Amino acid sequence: MAQQIADRRDVDFVLHEQLNVAELSKHEKYAEFNKKTVDLIVSEARNLAVKEILPTRKEGDDEGVKFENGEVIVPECFRKPFELLREGEWTAMPEDPEWGGQGMPRAVTMAAAEYFNGANYAFMMYSGLTHGAGKLVEAFGTDEQKKLYLKKLFTSEWGGTMLLTEPEAGSDVGALTTKAVKNDDGTYSITGQKIFISSGDHDLVENILHPVLARIEGAPAGTKGISLFAVPKYRVNPDGSIGEFNDVKCVGIEEKMGIHGNATCTMSLGEKGECLGTLLGDENKGMRAMFLMMNEARLLVGMQGYSCATASYINSVNYAKERLQGRNLLKMLDKDAPAVPIIQHPDVRRMLLTMKVYVEGIRSLLYYVGWLEDKADTVDDEAEKDKCHGLIDILIPIAKGYVTDRAFDVCSLGMQVYGGYGYIKEYPQEQLLRDCRITMIYEGANGIQSMDLLGRKLGMKKGKLVMDLMGEIMVAISAGKVDEKTKAFAEKVEQALNKLGEVAMHLGKTAMSEKILDAFAFSYPFMEVCGDVVMAWMLLWRANVAAGAIEKAKKKDVAFYDGQLKSAQFFCNTILPTTLGKMNAILATDSAIMDIDEASFNG
Amino acid sequence: MEILVCVKRVPDTAENEIEINSDGNDIERDDLVYSVNEWDNYAVEEAIQIVDKVGGSVTVVTVGDDESEEVLRREMAMGAEKGILLSDDAFEGSDGKGIATALKAAVEKGSYDLIFTGAQADDGAAQVGGMLAAMLDYPYASLVNLIEPGDGKLKVGREIEGGNQEINEIELPCVLSIQTGINEPRYVGIRGIRKVASVEIPTLGASDLGLDAGSVGEGAAKVRRVDYFMPEMGEGAEMLEGSTEEIIDKLIELLKAKGGLK
Repeated sequence: MAQQIADRRDVDFVLHEQLNVAELSKHEKYAEFNKKTVDLIVSEARNLAVKEILPTRKEGDDEGVKFENGEVIVPECFRKPFELLREGEWTAMPEDPEWGGQGMPRAVTMAAAEYFNGANYAFMMYSGLTHGAGKLVEAFGTDEQKKLYLKKLFTSEWGGTMLLTEPEAGSDVGALTTKAVKNDDGTYSITGQKIFISSGDHDLVENILHPVLARIEGAPAGTKGISLFAVPKYRVNPDGSIGEFNDVKCVGIEEKMGIHGNATCTMSLGEKGECLGTLLGDENKGMRAMFLMMNEARLLVGMQGYSCATASYINSVNYAKERLQGRNLLKMLDKDAPAVPIIQHPDVRRMLLTMKVYVEGIRSLLYYVGWLEDKADTVDDEAEKDKCHGLIDILIPIAKGYVTDRAFDVCSLGMQVYGGYGYIKEYPQEQLLRDCRITMIYEGANGIQSMDLLGRKLGMKKGKLVMDLMGEIMVAISAGKVDEKTKAFAEKVEQALNKLGEVAMHLGKTAMSEKILDAFAFSYPFMEVCGDVVMAWMLLWRANVAAGAIEKAKKKDVAFYDGQLKSAQFFCNTILPTTLGKMNAILATDSAIMDIDEASFNG
Repeated sequence: MEILVCVKRVPDTAENEIEINSDGNDIERDDLVYSVNEWDNYAVEEAIQIVDKVGGSVTVVTVGDDESEEVLRREMAMGAEKGILLSDDAFEGSDGKGIATALKAAVEKGSYDLIFTGAQADDGAAQVGGMLAAMLDYPYASLVNLIEPGDGKLKVGREIEGGNQEINEIELPCVLSIQTGINEPRYVGIRGIRKVASVEIPTLGASDLGLDAGSVGEGAAKVRRVDYFMPEMGEGAEMLEGSTEEIIDKLIELLKAKGGLK
């Protein structure tokens, strides 16, 4: 039987051959996580994902979430895997064991997360959002708040959410109107309405903690007057037991295109004036708190989108090897020639190889971002730590924005490979495409990601982040140049990188000039070309590893390593030329986007 | 209750496309993904459950190379307390009797009340459990799907033909081969994995076990695999057409003609 969800050989390749994650075990913090342990963790995550979570993907989609008599009911099939996820303590893998985490390297967490999310990420969102809420409590909570909530959240005994969006405050968070009024005992009375709240309410857990963004009465307008509050569904007594209902409830759930298994709730706070919250962090520092958590949340969304792509790709490869349709092109005139597996058809191969390069490039990128966190945690040198964090900062808009765009493209190709069967519900491809789509929108729409890249990250620390990133890419280019098998690829990546430097300089300057709007009209294409070059880098890095290993490889590994060289070849020779073209368009910074009159958009 | 569970590392049939090697006498093993034999997971789970009930400890043992250590570690992460790897060049090429010989020696080095094997292995012949019991001169029950511990003996259910079950009483020490379905094997969580991450697993070779190298391995094997082949594809299926009644009539006719119905 063929593999499902993700290609284990490639997962192992990234962990052990590209990133050498077992090296982390030399540091005290990760001493337990030697190669054998890492392999066992990935195997067991995959085991649970394939046997228990994957079967809920379609069932959860068909059944969906129900909203009855004010209660949110998850698909019945989610209950068992949710308990198993909790029992296996997979809900807060990289966190501090003191609070219910497992202290695992984030790079390894990525591999486990790929299997879990690839199995059914709508299901994984219940514990995923909970983990995020836990991170907020960990970073900003008082000792008391940590004692009450943190372990319950990291172990998913209770649920967690993030109440940010309001009907008039989506991308513009500063416009929010949810109000907090301070009480004499130091608590705050919260009133307001929040929308699009993932996992906002559900019946997998007995209590839910909502971190809520609200404005304290009298606080400044805009983002500077926003504070973060801990607002439980049921109040929690000092001894940790559950108290009375806290007047925060779900008043409706959304009908969506995808992720039907996850509840997207409209939440009403304080309808009866009895919703109490405690400040999480300092007054008016809510946005700062959000920003600190944003990298991790955005990386998770990148993983969600990508997990649909990896599952779609592996399905497509399996299908294309088995599905007989059409004669081999070389035997078109022979009426008696047998139908061949569609993987023999050139255009199907084009689609599969396109999917392959993005799936592999993205896998490397996401694991690498996780690994940078691990590295930052295990080096003593402050400058080195800073560099790791800077690289993460600049890669996050790509790991979210670019990655989810490409993931959706991959899912679309994954549907195309199946032909008509891809469009019908009997096969998994259409659901993966639907589920993937939201990842381009939530947690900062991809347009916002591109503005973040151009407007914040590019100029951060006087351009040091970009320079460090280019320096890292140069390492792979230099390594690639010394081997004949990779030399030509390295040269192509170098050419693209040099041109990207020129593009970044040009767009950075334009953004500081009176043509700032024109510059931001090209922020999205800029994110795309940055992403393309990062993909090229990752694929070159992989090819470098493969080139060194192929000669002594076992039979099946020879094919695998050759596949790495072919990925780099295809990307450098077939995709990068279009990247250079896109760069030309950015350098030209044509003004039509801003020049066109609004009246001219339609007749 | 001291329980020894014999486990085996086998090619994972869910992960591999099995190919026959060029000599036609084995499958291509170079690039296979391996895992614990499915039946053995049930055996380990059952052992853990018994120890949870009546006390004692669970030890897992396997005969194999260094890589087999991974299956021991996995079963220890599941909850087995100790692991023993039986590994020696002398064991290579053993038939079922050779494996049972090594296991018998391991049993005799310990003090076990109960020995489990899986009812069979994905790539095996369901022979080791029975042979081991015979060599040890222990009572044996195969295809066990229920165990109730008692004083000095066990109540044991066996799966028999037609989905029926027979209940036996068996004296300790004994060997039982465990059938799937006897329980629901637990999944391995991260805590369990971390717990066994740096545990040393002792390796015992032929001399450690007091075995004469000639009693195991290829030289001692009396069963030798001579051929491996993929069965030829038969003719395609015949689709019966017509109304339900007509299809039933045709089916009965066919079953009679081919001897399926008399």
